[in-house]
Parts: sequence; C-alpha cells; structure tokens
Amino acid sequence: MEALRDAFSFKDFSKAERVVFGLFSLFVLAFPWLGTGSFVKTVMIQFLLFSLFGMGWNTIGGYGGQVELGKAQYVGIGAYTVALLMVWWKIPYWVSMPIGVFLAIGYSFIIGYPLFRLKGHYFAIATICTSLVLQDIFINWKLVGAAKGIELPIHEHPDFLYMQFKSDTYYYYFIMLLFFTAVFYMNWFRKSKLGYQLRMIKDDEEAAESLGIDARWCKIKAYTIASAFVAVGGGFMAVYNLYIDPYSVMDLDLSIKIALMAMLGGAGSLWGPIIGAAFLVPLDRFLGSWLGGHKGLVGLDFMIYSALIMVVSAYQPRGIWGIIEQFRRK
Amino acid sequence: MIVIDAILQGILMGLLFALVALGLTIIFGVMDIVNFAHGEFLMVGMYTAYWTSLLLHIDPLITLPASAAVGMILGLASYYCLVKYLLRGPMIAQLFGTFGLMLFLRYLAMFIWGTDYRIVKKGLLVGKTLSIGPFHLDWTKLSAALLSLLAFFLVYNLLHRTKLGKALRATALNKEAASYMGIRTDRMNALAWAIGGGTVGIAGGLLVNFWYVYPTVGLLFVMIAFASVALGGFGSIKGAFFAGILIGLIEMLFPIFGHLIGSDFLGPHFKFTIVYFAYFVIVVVRPQGLFGWKH
Repeated sequence: MEALRDAFSFKDFSKAERVVFGLFSLFVLAFPWLGTGSFVKTVMIQFLLFSLFGMGWNTIGGYGGQVELGKAQYVGIGAYTVALLMVWWKIPYWVSMPIGVFLAIGYSFIIGYPLFRLKGHYFAIATICTSLVLQDIFINWKLVGAAKGIELPIHEHPDFLYMQFKSDTYYYYFIMLLFFTAVFYMNWFRKSKLGYQLRMIKDDEEAAESLGIDARWCKIKAYTIASAFVAVGGGFMAVYNLYIDPYSVMDLDLSIKIALMAMLGGAGSLWGPIIGAAFLVPLDRFLGSWLGGHKGLVGLDFMIYSALIMVVSAYQPRGIWGIIEQFRRK
Repeated sequence: MIVIDAILQGILMGLLFALVALGLTIIFGVMDIVNFAHGEFLMVGMYTAYWTSLLLHIDPLITLPASAAVGMILGLASYYCLVKYLLRGPMIAQLFGTFGLMLFLRYLAMFIWGTDYRIVKKGLLVGKTLSIGPFHLDWTKLSAALLSLLAFFLVYNLLHRTKLGKALRATALNKEAASYMGIRTDRMNALAWAIGGGTVGIAGGLLVNFWYVYPTVGLLFVMIAFASVALGGFGSIKGAFFAGILIGLIEMLFPIFGHLIGSDFLGPHFKFTIVYFAYFVIVVVRPQGLFGWKH
C-alpha cells in the first residue's frame, strides 16, 4: 500500500512541475484526437518508446551513476524473443513479451555479475563490448535469421493477442500505458530503499560500503531493472515495426541514443529522460525527413545532432534539467 | 605452414593495431579521458592520404607527413575547442563529449565524401608481395609494420629520453604535483592530444594502402584499440605495443583454429567478436592489464 502511495504521490515536486506534468499528461492522453498526420503520430510513439528506454537507463545510469552503453542488447533480447516465438510457434505477444523480459533479466544477472567488478571507463567500454558480441552472434546466427533479420507474419484482421492493429492509435495507447506505468514506477523507485542506496553509491561508494550497503549487489539489481524496462520496449518494437534485424535493434547507436537522451535531459532526475526524448526524438526525425531526402545532404542531420551533444556535455553536464534548475535558482 | 603464415600476418597487422592504440593510451594516461573519436581520427588520416595521393599523383606512402600533420591539427583542435571544457564535468560528460565528436567527424566525412568504399589502387607497393620461401607477405603491410615500429620507437624515446617527455609523464602521474613543479599541464594535455592525433594519422596513412576507407571504418579500429589498451594496461606504451601484436595474432589465428577443429561457429566472421570478448575477460580478470600502472 505504501509503495502505491509513493508511486502516485508527487508531493515533493514544486507546484510548477506538477502543473506542467499534469498538462503534459493531458496532452499525451488527448493527442490521437488532435487530428495530426501519421508522421507526427509515429514521432510521438517513438518519443514515448525512447522515454521508456531512457527511464530504464536512468535507474543504473542516472541514480546509480554507472555509464552504461550496452542497453541495445536488451532491446534485442526483448524484440527477438517476441519475434521468434511468434514466427516459430505462433505464441501471442502477451506470453512472449514477459518471457523476453525474464530472459533479459536472467541474461543481465549473468553479465552483470562480472561486469560490476569494473568501474568508470572500464565498465563503460565493457558494456559496449558485451553488446557488440551479442550483435555479432545474431548477425551470424542462421537460426535467428542472421543479418537478414526476421519478418513477423502479418495477420489479415486486427488481432489483439498478437498486437496487430490497422491504426497506429492502438499502438499509441499501448505504449502510452507502458510509459505512464514507467513514470509511476520510477516515482516509486527514486523514493525506495534501492534508490537511496544507489544515490549514495554514486556520491561516494566507499562511504556507502562502510555503512553496510553491498554496492555491487545494488548495482546489479538496478542494472536488472533497467534491462527489464528496455526489454519491454524491445518487445514493443518487434510488433510495431513487424520487422527486426540485428542492425535495427542491437546497434551501438541505439545504446548510445538511449543513454544520450537520458543524459541530455538530465540523468538522475525523474523528468530528465522524458525531456531528453522530447527534445531529441523530434529533432532526429524531423531533421532526418527534411534533410535526409535531399541528395548531397546525407549526414547533415547527424552533424547537427552531434554538435548539440558536444555543446551540452561541455556546457552543462547535468543536461537540460540542470540548465532549468540553474535558471530557477537565480 | 598455414599457422606460421598466419602468425606473420598477425604480427604485421598487430603492429598497426598497436600504432592506433598508442595515441589512445597516451591520451588516457595523461588526462584520464577515453577518446571515442580516435577511430574517426584514423578515418580522417586515411582520407587525407587517399586524397593527397590521388590529387597530387604521388605514392600513398609519401603522403604520411600530410596524414600526420592533419591528425595532429585535429587532435589539437579537439583539445582546445572541446576537451578542455569537458574536463570540468563528470566522467559521463567526457564520454559523451568525445562520443559526440566521433559522430560529428563520421557524418562530416559522410557529408563530404559520401558512403562509397574507396581504396588506393595505384602505388609503388600496392599489390606487390615479398616471397620468402613459401611465405608471401604484402609489401604494403610489411612497410606499414616497419614504419609503425619506427613511429613507436620515436614516441617511446620522446617520452622517456627528453625533458618534454618527462614533463608529460609527470603530468600523467600527478597533475597537481606537476603543476606545482612549474609544468604547464594544460600544454601537456595539448601535447598528448597532438601526439595521439599524429600517430593515429600516420596509422591511417599506412592503413589506406591495403584497407578500404569509408566513413564508418573507425568503429572497428577503435574497438580493437580499446581492447589493446585494456590488455596492455591503460596508459602504458609498452603495453599497447605488445597487446596490439597479441590482438593481431588472435585475429589471424582464431579463424584457423576454428578451421582446424572444423567448427563453423568459430569462423572468420567472428574474428573481431573474439577481440571484444577478450577485452571483457581481460578487464574482469586483470583490470590493470599486462603492464598497467594506473587503475
């Protein structure tokens, strides 16, 4: 009961924040009725999806302060489990998605145990390496479609069990539900025992250990939570795109994007990943569609994108949320 | 026979990997920053050599000074325009800052030169082999290995025999103490970036003789360099040298091992996977690497 109360209580935020979040929630709820085009709707779905990823990353990367750059492998595990079980044995999404999440949790325990012996740069590069190894295995593994990837069977009629709908609106509401669940979960998480332990580890690991906190075990738990979040998003990607390959769901770029959005928005705060995704996803998509189509302008969108990364990390490492707080204090 | 051939090839390739890792390890040793853009510096070095040789109609091997100069300028520019500001922030900002630089350079290359794969077709040594008994070695690889050896020798002596090198190493050991001794650590950082950029530029100039150049070529090499640096110990030059060779050997011998035991799953397409995996195992089992002094 107490956990539920913590999850739905936003008392410790300022009034302005609560109002903005309320208005934002209303906007998200009403969005499909605003009559926007299908492109804007896909951008919105992407935004909610990446907020979900970013909030997952925030547990270990933001609150725990561990630079984790291998989240794409869990997107891959989630997506591949859903896709393969559907193609091989016609198992519905609602069964295969939890299986994917459990696989991701199991895998993250196996990998997390040795991984969290490492700190700092060693840890960051090691997470990239594990992700690349898994991607290489999937690229060459014929059983799972190798580099060609897998196509999900398309049903003639909309099917709730297999999450196949004619209109994006249904997908939109589904991902929105996941998004709000994630927001409430994170709201509870930051007030939970693990949340406080992680923040202490981030500030001073030795002091935390001297108080009897098992730092490694805490990090593994947070890492597992993050993986579960990301695997849920991965499962959604599989049914939404109806096609996955190792390059689209397991690429290093995806890992980086996930971490980047959380960091750009402000790691270690509840709103950070949402702000980051709200900023980067539309930028990415609109720049891509405006400039990507022109011949001779290939890569310009990413140049703007990366210049922005450099400026933010040099100017205010705590991200957009840090800039907002800086102004508020004045 | 095939094994000895692979060992020779592995050593030649490994010397080049070592040269790529050299700059990374110097930058890390001096200022505790992992330069993600290192592979992109290599890519820029490759493009420089490619275009100078093509436009000036000279042999790609003579373009090495141009690659080195461009690499050095790139290193200095990144230090003064970006890394200097990143140093104030936490580690995660530094990681993302250099990562942003990596993306920027990569897509700048894509913007200017497109995604085509390019390779040097004409050159003094291109396509020629040296035959010693049953072994055939490409002259391009051989000369690349020899020049990389030379570059290593020069950098090692610069760091261990000159006053400048002493100041650089002092900065690496303890920045504050070094600045009390009157060493301008800011300049030492810049020097580290200049050496790092210069050596990787040379590596790019050598590599372009026998490797395709395209905008995303850097990722593979930067991961190999990370593995070499981790294996040798972050910040250790000797370590980078031997680890580079070791990784060259692993990369060449692994497919043969798979071939000998007849396993398809250990085929050549996993030869770089094993390098990533090796990195993971090394840092977990022995985080200080073979010659590491910094943890």
